[in-house]
Amino acid sequence: MTSDSDRFSTGVPGLDTILGGGVFDGGIYIIQGAPGAGKTILGNQICFAQAAQGRNALYITLLAESHARMIGHMRRLTFFDEAAIPDRMSYVGAFKTLEDDGLRGLLDVVRREVRTRNASILVLDGLITVHEKARSELELKKFIHELQTQAAFSNCTMFLLTSAFDAEAYPPEHTMVDGLIELQTSLHGRRAERSLQVHKLRGSWFMGGKHSYRITESGHAIYPRVEALLETPSVWDSADGPMVSVGIAGVDKMLGGGVDTHSVTVVLGPSGSGKTTAGLQFLTGGPADEPAMHFGFHENPRALAIKARTLKLSMDERGDKISLLWRPQTEAILDEVATELLGAIKARGVRRLVIDGIEGFSKLTDEKTRIGSFLSALCNELRALGVTTLATAETDHAGITPGQPLKGVNQTGLSAVAENIIALHLAALRSENHRLMTILKSRDRRTDMRMRRFEIAEGGIALDEDYRKAEVILRDISSQGPAPAPLADLKLAGE
Amino acid sequence: MRTVLIVEDEWAIADWLEVLLSENAFNVLVAGNGREALDILHRETPDLVLTDFMMPFVDGAGLITAMAQNDKHRDIPVVVMTSLLEHVVKERAGKFRAYLRKPFREADLMKVIGEIFPG
Repeated sequence: MTSDSDRFSTGVPGLDTILGGGVFDGGIYIIQGAPGAGKTILGNQICFAQAAQGRNALYITLLAESHARMIGHMRRLTFFDEAAIPDRMSYVGAFKTLEDDGLRGLLDVVRREVRTRNASILVLDGLITVHEKARSELELKKFIHELQTQAAFSNCTMFLLTSAFDAEAYPPEHTMVDGLIELQTSLHGRRAERSLQVHKLRGSWFMGGKHSYRITESGHAIYPRVEALLETPSVWDSADGPMVSVGIAGVDKMLGGGVDTHSVTVVLGPSGSGKTTAGLQFLTGGPADEPAMHFGFHENPRALAIKARTLKLSMDERGDKISLLWRPQTEAILDEVATELLGAIKARGVRRLVIDGIEGFSKLTDEKTRIGSFLSALCNELRALGVTTLATAETDHAGITPGQPLKGVNQTGLSAVAENIIALHLAALRSENHRLMTILKSRDRRTDMRMRRFEIAEGGIALDEDYRKAEVILRDISSQGPAPAPLADLKLAGE
Repeated sequence: MRTVLIVEDEWAIADWLEVLLSENAFNVLVAGNGREALDILHRETPDLVLTDFMMPFVDGAGLITAMAQNDKHRDIPVVVMTSLLEHVVKERAGKFRAYLRKPFREADLMKVIGEIFPG
């Protein structure tokens, strides 16, 4: 293993994490991907990041877009720095040299230009052209070997960009370089998702598998897979402290005083059962100076604020101690959303979090098998960050049926992430819907698990202290028999 | 017939300029970088040098400096064609006649050449 002092940051958000700490001085790396994958942007982004650090970068093109067009495109990106060109960042074309003088001529250009410009970063854009120009596999190997030697002796880190990739073929250069990074685009239905994969990195651990990335006006932003990034939480969870109120007095009482600090509680229920209200009560139920956050996929901040005002919950009064993060599920990336959420939590020192619609995460990826380990990693990290979380999850409307009061409530996988599970039900008795609540799970705690009826009124959820009202509803549901015969004489308005 | 020396490391641009200027009745010489251009200047005396700025071996600034130091080449007008901003070129290079910001159009080039060779 090489020392970390020999490494430097690529300056690309997320990439260093995947590379286990950046790239090595004097190393030689291949970046490959199909046209449109963003190789040129990535190469430029790395160069400009180094130029910003006062190092000199050199970009050599073979059969690539013209420098004028490339620079024109890069100007639109925030990392581009006009002032860095040509002293700290320069562009040189070498195709003609390659064509006239072969690989030997190209090596000569690289050697001279790296030395003349004192470049510590070199991007060679168009390795596939070298491949095609090489008269034999041996000549190509010699070329790569000489580049390696140049990189090492000039302490210049080299990135070779190529569109060629055949995972089955194992081109000779792949075995010789220090690292191999692939950019891919795959279609999920009609949606395209970009992913980056490090196939090889000499001298270092790296985060295997595919990681999503996005190209924005800031260039590449790469999101390490959350379950790989947080395989173990970033810090150790002390998990001690006073119990935390869920913001609903009756529920705190049923739980024996509240939930454990840094725990995760899931509130299950069908649409309209009161989940968002429970979330808002949890959000506003802590100390006034405690930073709290509401993260949701569905209701936007304005709708939530109106709802809180209607319920007379003190959200406005808490000012910036409560933040509302809304992430529509349109084209979001699972790991991007998680990164954004965890970043906001750390930045604001959030201690109380509501995730409204935790099932929303699964809609951000077609890889459903990821969700269990993703949620587990996310929840472990939330605990480690000292956050007490209440997450809501939508169930279907099967609800209460005689002899099977919990039928229709899907708890699959929730035990792995949640210390507490609270279920909300809508129970139909004749023409009236009743709201019922029960605690399904409370880890290592003496809990009142008897069902309660509740109403939503000013102040939010108001729970019956007496469980017997719920029993009466359940008994009447059991005895109400089949639906009444059609009411022939019933006239609806307007008929 | 006037002779133009094109100094350009991007072969596609060099090719385009060569065709364009040939069609406009110029004799055209092409160099892939400043070093090749200086080699050509040892044996030829063009009427105009059209040069890129960022190139391998000898760049545009190096070429202009070398030409300024040679009595035979000092008075050959030089047009710098580059993606760099004009002030960046001026800060780094000696005297040159005109500046063309890449990417430029055929008409822009012909206008500059027309100003250098009126009539």
